[in-house]
Amino acid sequence: MGGVLVIEDDDRIRRSLVMALEDEGYTVRGSATAEEGLAANRTEAAEAVLVDLMLPGIDGFECVRQLRRDGDATIIVVSARDDTHDIVAALEAGADDYLVKPVAIKELSARLRAVRRRNRGGPTAGGATIVVGDLEIRPDAGEVRLHGELVSLTRTEFLLLCELGQHAGQVLSRAQLLTRVWEYEFGDERLVDVHVGRLRQKIEDDTAAPTRLVTVRGLGYKLAR
Amino acid sequence: MSRLGLRARVTATVAIGALALSTAIAALSYQFIRGSLVAERERTATRTAFSDATWVRARLGQNTNTVDVLGGVDAGSSRRPLLHINGKWFSLSTDTVASADIPVALQQMVDGGQPARQRVRTSSGPAIVIGMPLSDGTQYYEIVSLAETQQTLDLIGLVLSLVAGGVTLAGGGLGWYTGRLALRPLVHMAEAARGIAAGDLGARLDPMSDPDLEPLSASFNDMVDQLEKRIERDRRFAADVSHELRSPLQTLAAAAAVLDRRRGQLDERTAAAAQLVVEETDRFQQLVTDLLEITRADSELDLSDVDVLAMARDLCRSRGIDPSMVVVGRGAESTWHADGRRVQQIVGNLLDNAQCHGGGVVSVRLRQRGARNVIEVDDAGPGVQPENRELIFRPFVRGAGAERRGDTVGAGLGLAIVARLADSLGGRASVLDRPGGGARFRVILARRPS
Repeated sequence: MGGVLVIEDDDRIRRSLVMALEDEGYTVRGSATAEEGLAANRTEAAEAVLVDLMLPGIDGFECVRQLRRDGDATIIVVSARDDTHDIVAALEAGADDYLVKPVAIKELSARLRAVRRRNRGGPTAGGATIVVGDLEIRPDAGEVRLHGELVSLTRTEFLLLCELGQHAGQVLSRAQLLTRVWEYEFGDERLVDVHVGRLRQKIEDDTAAPTRLVTVRGLGYKLAR
Repeated sequence: MSRLGLRARVTATVAIGALALSTAIAALSYQFIRGSLVAERERTATRTAFSDATWVRARLGQNTNTVDVLGGVDAGSSRRPLLHINGKWFSLSTDTVASADIPVALQQMVDGGQPARQRVRTSSGPAIVIGMPLSDGTQYYEIVSLAETQQTLDLIGLVLSLVAGGVTLAGGGLGWYTGRLALRPLVHMAEAARGIAAGDLGARLDPMSDPDLEPLSASFNDMVDQLEKRIERDRRFAADVSHELRSPLQTLAAAAAVLDRRRGQLDERTAAAAQLVVEETDRFQQLVTDLLEITRADSELDLSDVDVLAMARDLCRSRGIDPSMVVVGRGAESTWHADGRRVQQIVGNLLDNAQCHGGGVVSVRLRQRGARNVIEVDDAGPGVQPENRELIFRPFVRGAGAERRGDTVGAGLGLAIVARLADSLGGRASVLDRPGGGARFRVILARRPS
């Protein structure tokens, strides 16, 4: 596992991104289509994948879904589309982050460094097992069990749940979660909302009336004890 | 030109019409009732007086005590019988003035042997005097009080006046209602127009509401359709343009980063050119981002509960400003129901402006005033001249010296974006003098119910 995979159909953008990220010290591969990119990721799993949304053939959303199914890579959508619907749809498809073109290389590099820091910590967040109601979080093993059954979470979802679990019963603001889970100084709070939504689909009985991961209006989220 | 509104004029017209009509009807009715009541009373009085006279004449023959005879007349309280015998007056009471109520002309007529009748005004109200010759030298008179009739007439008059007043009021009410009914479509139209002005382009008039108004509503709806299409076209064009600009800019940004990193490996002249490319790419990127922000100001609001205090402090932190400069006004809440992205953009741009053109941020205040949220950013700069206070919020107007210093920060859109966003949030942006020098940028936003 390693390196950054850039899935971008625009030849010039792809070439320039590959060059710029190589300069930043990453091992970078480029793919012009989703099919090519998915194959490249299966051959050698990337640490982070940058995906454009408008791709020929399999589109960006589907590409994100398949990448998510294939593995644990951090998926960052880099798109010219800045519509809220697109952003939410991409995040719901499984993307970890969404950046709107043009992205400054410094910014992109900062995000990738955050990804690396998180991943260097290994798949686990460390710490003792947390039991909150019928939810059991084992940071050392990277496992979450609900009613004793294993729940499959992405890395971001897992880290988010760990963070909330370590402060169970306490409200964490979106900004706090962005800093602690994504390690971003500054970012789009919709990231948190969508990830909380995805997490709820996996740990709540009724996502419309969450009982475990609750919203505290105007403040943020908390994991109810 | 009349200052009165259409509805007031309709109300007044109908009320005046109702007043005239009801007054005329009431007056006519009163006259008619009065005439017939008085005539009826006169007839009755005459008949009674006639029979009383006959009775008195018969009695006078038997009894010489005139007062006793008069006492025998069953006169009640409303009739006063009098006898005039050989120039001498006899009456029941000590009412000596009673004879004074009898007009001389009437007396002369009766003295001449003619029964007569006349309406008079006595000290105790209107009355009818009826005189009848009984025999030579003897005349019988009756003064019949009309007080009761007058009371009845007064009552009728009062009732009629009340009715006339009521009709006038009802007329006014009808006028007001009619006016409202007639103006209702205009009220709908005004509401729709207000909605459209506030950005709700989906507002339309119900075309089926009234056949008389259909041409008006149809043309109104047509106008809004055209407006909507036009705005949508403009918006789409701006979005398309910026979208089309994004892709080449991404290439430029990445390529410029590569150039920038390798500047040391280039000869001096190429390095200088590379630096210009890098800087201009940055500026171009900022310009496109800003233009997109402006087009976004026209899109729908995305309201949620936003912790503006935390947001503003984050924004300060990311700009190297001491976050403790952000304070919440006394009694104000730090969580607003607002469009988070827009508020974030407003605060961010104000901070950038203070840093680039205002000599740094002095304080940031988040306050609530009545139904409004207020954001204030104070800076340490020279302040803004009164003549520039409107101008400064226009697009591409740059702060003094920005260009001279070769400052590449900002395309002159920051404050224009603030103004546009404030407008889209039902508020406005302004700049004032900060007490103690410097400028105070104030953005007032409509408070939204959560």
